Amino acid sequence: MTPLFRKLVWWMRRRRKEDELREELEFHLANEADEREVDGLAHDQARWAAHRDLGNVTLLREDTRRLWTWTPVEQLAQDLRYAVWMMFKHPTFTALAALSLALGIGANTAIFSLVNATLLQRLPVDDRERLVYVHRARVGGVFSYPLYQALRDGSHVFEGLAAWAGVTLSLNADNTTDLVDGAIVTGNFFDVLGIRASEGRLLAPSDDVTVRAHPVAVISHDLWQTRFGGRADIVGRDIRLNGHAFTIVGVTPAAFPGPQLGTARQVYAPMMMQAILRPSGTGEQNPDLLADRRRRTDGARGPTPSWLFGLGRLNPGITLDQARAELGTLATNYERTFDPSDPPELVALVPLDQGDPRERQQLQSVALLLGGVAAAVLLIACANIANLLLARTASRRREFSVRLAVGASRARLMRQLLTESVLLSTIGGVIGLGFAWVVVLSFQAAPPPPGALPLAIEFSIDQRVLLFSVVLSFVTGIVFGIVPALKASRPNLVPALKDVSAEIDERRRWFSTQKTLVVAEVALSMLLLIPAGLFVRSLQAARSIDPGIDVEKLVAVPLNINVLRYTTAKGREFYRQVVERVERLPGVEAASVARVPVMSGTGRVSGLMVEGRQGYSEEFVFGAGPGVVSADPTQINTNVVGPGFFATLGIPLIIGRDFSEQDAQGGPRVVIVTETTMKRDFSGKNPVGQRVSFGGQEGPWREIVGVVRDSKYAALGEAALAVAYLPLAQNHQPGMTLYVRTSIPPASVIGSLRRELQAIEPNLPVADIRTMTSTIGASLYASRMGAWLLSVFGGLALLLAAIGIYGVLSFSISRRTREMGIRLALGADTRNVFWLVVRDGMMLVVVGIIIGVTGGLIGAQWLSSFLYGIPTTDVATFAAMTGALAAVALAACVIPARRAMRVNPITALRYE
Amino acid sequence: MAHKPPSRVELLRGTLDLLILRTLLPGPSHGHAIAKHIQRTSDDLLKVETGSLYPALYRLEANGWVAASWELSEKGKRARYYRITPKGRKQLASEQSKWDAFARAMGLLLKPLGEEGR
Repeated sequence: MTPLFRKLVWWMRRRRKEDELREELEFHLANEADEREVDGLAHDQARWAAHRDLGNVTLLREDTRRLWTWTPVEQLAQDLRYAVWMMFKHPTFTALAALSLALGIGANTAIFSLVNATLLQRLPVDDRERLVYVHRARVGGVFSYPLYQALRDGSHVFEGLAAWAGVTLSLNADNTTDLVDGAIVTGNFFDVLGIRASEGRLLAPSDDVTVRAHPVAVISHDLWQTRFGGRADIVGRDIRLNGHAFTIVGVTPAAFPGPQLGTARQVYAPMMMQAILRPSGTGEQNPDLLADRRRRTDGARGPTPSWLFGLGRLNPGITLDQARAELGTLATNYERTFDPSDPPELVALVPLDQGDPRERQQLQSVALLLGGVAAAVLLIACANIANLLLARTASRRREFSVRLAVGASRARLMRQLLTESVLLSTIGGVIGLGFAWVVVLSFQAAPPPPGALPLAIEFSIDQRVLLFSVVLSFVTGIVFGIVPALKASRPNLVPALKDVSAEIDERRRWFSTQKTLVVAEVALSMLLLIPAGLFVRSLQAARSIDPGIDVEKLVAVPLNINVLRYTTAKGREFYRQVVERVERLPGVEAASVARVPVMSGTGRVSGLMVEGRQGYSEEFVFGAGPGVVSADPTQINTNVVGPGFFATLGIPLIIGRDFSEQDAQGGPRVVIVTETTMKRDFSGKNPVGQRVSFGGQEGPWREIVGVVRDSKYAALGEAALAVAYLPLAQNHQPGMTLYVRTSIPPASVIGSLRRELQAIEPNLPVADIRTMTSTIGASLYASRMGAWLLSVFGGLALLLAAIGIYGVLSFSISRRTREMGIRLALGADTRNVFWLVVRDGMMLVVVGIIIGVTGGLIGAQWLSSFLYGIPTTDVATFAAMTGALAAVALAACVIPARRAMRVNPITALRYE
Repeated sequence: MAHKPPSRVELLRGTLDLLILRTLLPGPSHGHAIAKHIQRTSDDLLKVETGSLYPALYRLEANGWVAASWELSEKGKRARYYRITPKGRKQLASEQSKWDAFARAMGLLLKPLGEEGR
């Protein structure tokens, strides 16, 4: 019989083994006593001596029992049974504790599910450690195709180096045209990434050999499912990209969003097809981007455009430094073959997992803020429950003392108490997971409006989230349980057994665990209320902003004709026709077009030169992306607008004239500027007649013909910007946005607008028609959500802190009943007693508020990037939040204080 | 009260098993008798924590080194008698030789100072 087998047998017979042991010990005691009696002791004394000699029988039995029990398991079962019993015995406490934990754990789980679905996401590629994003240090990080070739062919550090560029494509299939995010990639792109097709095949180097000879494309799994219904005959299907026939050869794996997280790419096509895939500014032949400038066929001079991002797989054992050094030398040598005076080139290598786009980094700081806030709420909940547990263990002191006295070890007692708290936190965790699930569902039911957030964010609950909430629940249980458990298992045995309440040391102690916890709670709540208040104030400030246009009457439609490859002439005609026909629609008052959509978060910046004034910037940034606006005095934001733009949007002209028929192509170039431009660049004097250039000394020079009132350019929250408007007729642009001013509710013209546009150009992808109201709503979405979330968390914190203060004071009053009785009996005024209690409570609150406000002043600086129009030290917010907290805390003090006031001296003195 | 020996030696860890097995070598015995025997034969110098005796007995039984059965004691009461098993004898032999080696080594190391270098 092996020991394990014997143990099993004994375990099955454990009752009998217990009986045997008891009988054996009794036999021992009887024998021992007999012997001592023979030695001359009295019967009783002999029995006691025998007992003493044997020692702690309970402990001994427990030691022996270990041989046939799995003690930890059985004790756990025992502890759990007891914990459940305790929970039912104190239903109010249990419900309160579980609920506050559920809120805390739920908030953390919900935030984690966001972080998990967005930030912890990784590109699903093989051998990821060796993959690097390759950026050029200059020119926005991009390479020209010839430079890419030079690096690819010259370097020895890569197993493979691919290049790609993101592109917006018009995709036509089944007679429907959509706009999709795609990528132009080199033939080795998928080999370098190391991913395999889920259907058909991915692109190979053989698909990228001869210019214009490879009309093949790979689509994403997502596009296959949503656009093509997941049909089995997807491979070999013909589609049209920008109007050209392509054949789908394969589908990427489901988990692969594209070469960079944050933007899902739906279509991939070979580099050799770039000329027809890239949007064409004017509809004329795209410049040849593949040949270097010695061999340019279009005869254009100047550098070869840089537009490609690099993605490389390093050879095993190559360090980033080695690769960087080699690539830098290669790039410098290549560029100096054209111009030996070129500055040295630098190449940056970023490991795949660190190459997050800026939007993701922004999201990270938001997630950090929300996560920190959720963690603070959970901490407050923990402090609260720890306090309630401390109060409860004080009343269970006798129970613990008895158990310690009869031989329970301290560890055993602590284990039991921790079992109770972990059980509580587990229940809280389960309910919290339910809360998180509701949050996720409601977020999925009401997703943010498109464009409201810089990055698509996602919530989802998967195994990792479940594991997180399990671990969090367990840790939470330990965190709030450990202090009460430590204190409870170390009672002063003798007074506790005698049932003398430890009232004497409860009173008048400046420092106690409970008081510290209350102070911490108040401080943390203050810390949470401050950002909540700042966000609400900032939202109010944003709401009261006058956008400077007639928001209520406007609809915007992006006209993506750049994918249609119109010639300039055809484009002009198209815009003219659209405006003319749309203006005839019922309910439409006016229509016009603009290059930079109003308040879309994007913008264009040019260097500004005023004739006769020194100093200007040569930099010209064509920007598209959040926050691309400039307040630099040598730069100006620009927009190209069609006839009637100001009237359509309701932007009043202050000085001069609007653009007119006379500002035609070939005529004198004109420009209209904003009021702020007049103040900034012309000292507030009438600038009409002055000339400005956006291209430096060489011009072209443009004459200012008018000044318009300021209106919001890229975002509602921006300060008034210097903006210059250029007439479309003199500056033709593809990709304008149509603005329609209506006399009826703007949403009601969307349908007829769409039909009219489709009638004018069936191949035009018409998507994303939005009213200006919803655009503004979207631009406020993030602040609204932020204010809402932080207010919820702040309110929660406030509520929890109030419960904490109330709990501690009530408890201390219940322990000081006799003291109150004596005070009253000796003639203390009831008011004195009342203030005594309130003062005790508010002292803690004041200390907490001071700590919280100090922390808030420091911490709020970090919030500045989230706030509109108010400073991070906004006095009104701090005052209001301090007041709110103090008021709630006072209320929490008054209730127990009133109870203390009503103590009946007679009962109190008789008590105990 | 019974007389108290001047000083009692605490048992070394693990030696209790050895003592119990050795005690059982001549014949079966019950717990109380084992305790008394160990105390008596060591001239009362060893203090056997009676409390630790019983867990040890059950542990030896679980290891299969002793077997237990209920029999009538000399006084006619039911008592649990322990008997050493063949496996227990083997264990005793190996433990004893280990102990002997240990005791010899300790004896050599702790020789009175004067005996060194003789």
